[in-house]
Amino acid sequence: MQARRKLDDVDKAIVAWLSKDARISNRQVAEDLGVTEGTVRARIKRMEEEKQIRITAVTNIDRFRDAALAYIWIEVERSGQTRAVARSLAQIPELGFVGVMLGRSDILAITMVRNAEHLAEFVHRRISSIDGVRRTDSTLGVNFVKHDYRMARIVS
Amino acid sequence: MNQPVPVPSRSQIELDETDLSIIALLREDGRLPCRSIARELDLTESTVRARIRRLEESGTMRVVAVTDIEAAGYGMLLAIGVQVEGRSPEAVARQLAELPEVFSVNVVVGAHDVEILVVAEDQAALDRLVNDQLATIPGVRRLTPALALDVLKNQPDWVPFHD
Repeated sequence: MQARRKLDDVDKAIVAWLSKDARISNRQVAEDLGVTEGTVRARIKRMEEEKQIRITAVTNIDRFRDAALAYIWIEVERSGQTRAVARSLAQIPELGFVGVMLGRSDILAITMVRNAEHLAEFVHRRISSIDGVRRTDSTLGVNFVKHDYRMARIVS
Repeated sequence: MNQPVPVPSRSQIELDETDLSIIALLREDGRLPCRSIARELDLTESTVRARIRRLEESGTMRVVAVTDIEAAGYGMLLAIGVQVEGRSPEAVARQLAELPEVFSVNVVVGAHDVEILVVAEDQAALDRLVNDQLATIPGVRRLTPALALDVLKNQPDWVPFHD
């Protein structure tokens, strides 16, 4: 993974606030940390521009019925096709995670599906049809125990 | 991500098109002012404010800062399949979930019983995490890891809330 600047103590203190509630005003954060509002605004802007943080809405999966996480492992025909297949997969809006992997298989894609039928249909229609995909191996989650949404690889 | 169907129930709020539109805008930019959301959706600012409060108070939505794992000091990301024996996968999953480096935990059906996503600062930290912490959890039979060489996309929109 490419090198990225690590957060300093002021950045971390601001992120600690924002990871609980990012709709909080800059003024409130500034008052708590004893820095100026301008500092808070500039730090947030820089962290967003440098893709160190992303401020976004997350929604509670428990509020939705028939939602299961599916892990889809994808093997390519030829290793030289891995990057191209991964790039095609990253374009699919339904996929929440796409990674080129070392071990187990070539690519891991993660999505949310309603059930096993939905998963099979999604894989057949959207993934198996991609040029270079040799085989797929899908696993359906039955209990989503944890996902620390405060942590992710920020790519876009 | 594929859009799940909202659960209609008395204890939980029902989401309409307006709620879903507000959520969609806040996914793009969590700090978008209520004024801008109101203008975009042709609503009043006070309606937007009330809708956001309702979504937050009902535990349906949160607007948060997501930190890049590398900026947070973690250089490695792995997907590890966990085979369990002599203990329920749920119990092992809950114990795995207690570790901060284990950021995603799913009980699954298939060759493995639990799928986890983990991060580590470097190779030495990964060795300690895998061999001293994960492998010693009661019920863990085998760990089958894969290292992410390149993550092209990581936008987990629908997640379980805890705490």
